[in-house]
Amino acid sequence: MMTIKAKPVTRGIAEGEAIVSHLPISFTGGMDPNTGVIREPGHDLEGQSVAGKILVFPMGKGSTTGSWQFYAAFKRGNAPKGIINVKAEGIVAVSAIITGTPMVHQLENDPLECINNGDFVRINADEGFVEIERRA
Amino acid sequence: MELTQREQEILEGKTGRGAQRCMEILQAYGECYEARRMIPVTSVHIAGNYPVLMDEGIEWLEDLAQGGTKVSVYTTKNPEMYDFEQAEELKVPAIYQERQGRIDTVLRSLGVTLTYSCHHYLVGNVPRFGDHIAWASSGSQVYANSVIGARSNRDGDHVALAAAVTGVIPEWGLHLTENRRGQVIVETERLNLEGFTTADYQAIGWQVGKMVGDKIPVFVNLPADSAIQNIKGILYTLTVTGAVGLVHLVGITPEAPTPEAAFGGTVGPLDRISLEQKDIDQAYIEISSSSEDKVDIVIFGCPQCSIQEVQEIAALLEGKKVHGDTELWICTSNWVKTLSKRMGIYDSIRAAGGRIVADVGAADGPHLYLRERGIRVVAINSARGSYYAHGIFGMDTWFGSTQELVQTAISGKWEGKL
Repeated sequence: MMTIKAKPVTRGIAEGEAIVSHLPISFTGGMDPNTGVIREPGHDLEGQSVAGKILVFPMGKGSTTGSWQFYAAFKRGNAPKGIINVKAEGIVAVSAIITGTPMVHQLENDPLECINNGDFVRINADEGFVEIERRA
Repeated sequence: MELTQREQEILEGKTGRGAQRCMEILQAYGECYEARRMIPVTSVHIAGNYPVLMDEGIEWLEDLAQGGTKVSVYTTKNPEMYDFEQAEELKVPAIYQERQGRIDTVLRSLGVTLTYSCHHYLVGNVPRFGDHIAWASSGSQVYANSVIGARSNRDGDHVALAAAVTGVIPEWGLHLTENRRGQVIVETERLNLEGFTTADYQAIGWQVGKMVGDKIPVFVNLPADSAIQNIKGILYTLTVTGAVGLVHLVGITPEAPTPEAAFGGTVGPLDRISLEQKDIDQAYIEISSSSEDKVDIVIFGCPQCSIQEVQEIAALLEGKKVHGDTELWICTSNWVKTLSKRMGIYDSIRAAGGRIVADVGAADGPHLYLRERGIRVVAINSARGSYYAHGIFGMDTWFGSTQELVQTAISGKWEGKL
């Protein structure tokens, strides 16, 4: 198991299966709140659901309305359980804040290098670290 | 983060539960970015309409408004779903009219000015150079930073609303001079800009947004007299493919009279992007999502059309007729609709088989009910409109110039590139 220090964006602990994207994500237009499926054409997670997973991606992009779509996804049970960003972009940060989703960023090691799809990941946003168990 | 006594009292709930929640959001947001303090904002704009809010979002707003929560700063609102004057004629389903009614009611109760416009800077929300503001709506946010020289981060709606209620925002990011320096040089000298349409400028924005991510690009060789539509073409598109909050357009952006000023002193060894025609061609391939000839609707207005754009479309339509199997919509603010009535072009566009619809944008609201009456293939002169109409509503989209779109409306078939 690997432990990496990280900066908390919100508080709380979340654990689960990692889903990793190497591309920025827009919650508006890029993710279907009715399913949690990424629907941006050509995106590296196109067709895959982030619901109930630990979503690892570089940062947010796109519409500032993303926090509404994330909130709707959250209320419908289709949001990721936790978020790890290389760098928290404001719209992703406030999405996590209003839903209480545990989120960290600025990890000591690049999460896109250290975490693979299917790994078991625990975010501890109270103390500021991430634990990774290789599964894939 | 250090809070003033007033901010601390809001956080403790002394001014009501709504304001307390707003301060909680701002405090968490500020701590995430290590802001030292809050600063007052002079202007707020919020974006979300029903298709992105969904029922849960309306409930969130209604909850916020409980107990008489009010905005304390001038706050305007982005477009909504339909033109209230045409609701019957367009057969907007009752359920959407009911949801819109709830949104109207809750925003009015919060004290938001119901502009229903994304060119709010043309209808009365005009910050000054150096003002600290909280503008959601990613396109106008980057416009405020890059054209007006006001200071706003890419705030999501919840942050902007929280700023509107409390009157303050955490001081971080683009509010601070040291974070407004250019980071990537963008050269356009290899492009033949003289022949470029506004759509081609959007293709520039599409590519540069992908290349820079959240870095601040500096366009070093755009003509200082570039048309505002072309500047908007770049800015509004960069924010779709990237997380760009500020663009320095040397000679245009108030803070960037020279490249040195844009970079905050010396021009060091920075990343450099030099665009070629093949980048522009590639953008067109990526932006359009349709492959079908027959076009169901030609739609303008993402962002909402200015009166000049409406006039351009009216001139292209003169003496022509929109094809019987295609619709032509021009989305704009109520103010521009009023102006076009005064100018006689509201009626002339109507006579040609098109329509001007107010209070909506071409990327979002209308697609909800257009889709329900079988409209699927959309031609649009906006790259961001194409992205959101496809991504949010599943529409098949064609992206092209205003001229190509008018030709498409007349023939009923896609007349643009590809």
